[in-house]
Amino acid sequence: MRDNTFKIIKAATNVTSGLSMAALIVLGVMYVSFTNAFVFNNSGISVTNNPVTGDQINFILEGSREHKCVLTRVHSHAINNETGEIFDFDFDKKVYLRSDDYLGNATGVVDHQWGIPRPENMPAGVYEVSLYSEFDCVYLLFTKAKVQMFDDIVLIIE
Amino acid sequence: MDNIKNQQIKKQVERWDLFARISPTLFLLTTLFLTIFEIVKIEYAFYVGLIGFAVTAVTWWWWAIFTIKYLITTLARASANLTDVDQEVADVREDIRKLKNEG
Repeated sequence: MRDNTFKIIKAATNVTSGLSMAALIVLGVMYVSFTNAFVFNNSGISVTNNPVTGDQINFILEGSREHKCVLTRVHSHAINNETGEIFDFDFDKKVYLRSDDYLGNATGVVDHQWGIPRPENMPAGVYEVSLYSEFDCVYLLFTKAKVQMFDDIVLIIE
Repeated sequence: MDNIKNQQIKKQVERWDLFARISPTLFLLTTLFLTIFEIVKIEYAFYVGLIGFAVTAVTWWWWAIFTIKYLITTLARASANLTDVDQEVADVREDIRKLKNEG
């Protein structure tokens, strides 16, 4: 091999090796940041029609979403503060009041409002609502199943 | 003995050089291929990369420490030998000067 050709090959491998190393480091940092990110940031859920007098409980979720995530499973229940009795909410019967993207994957500011029928035989009182949701999140080449929980949502039934 | 060791170090440096040139590109391309075609999960590729990076860093670190130690020892010995030679040359020069004066 001629000396010049050898020098060019050496320089080219130097450049590609450096670029590959930089790409690996950038991808690694991006992956760690993606896996550690929450689905919703600066978010919270609250009941908008407290104290609830009718048959429907209305919720609002405010916050922001950095990555594209699709909701795959959700579970929510309310615990009576006095008796400790647990009432599950039926998410199959939820109605969207404001958003059409709660199950979707849009990023940016999130402002979802939905209503759920009040469970049968739910007596008046103060309840603590928890919401557990599972998502499939996607970012560039990366995919990750994530879980986000919301606790301490106050619900007052009259 | 020193020559053999020096040759060994030279070969090791060449191997490190080759490894540094090839391995990042090879790993990047292999990982991209395997993850794009969903042969391997990106999570596994990430951990393999992380472990590979850590093993390489630790191995290189210890190799560098031992090599530097060897080079410093060799340099110190060479320096001491040169000082001895310098002293001997000075002695010979002094002897020649004395012989000339006697003559």
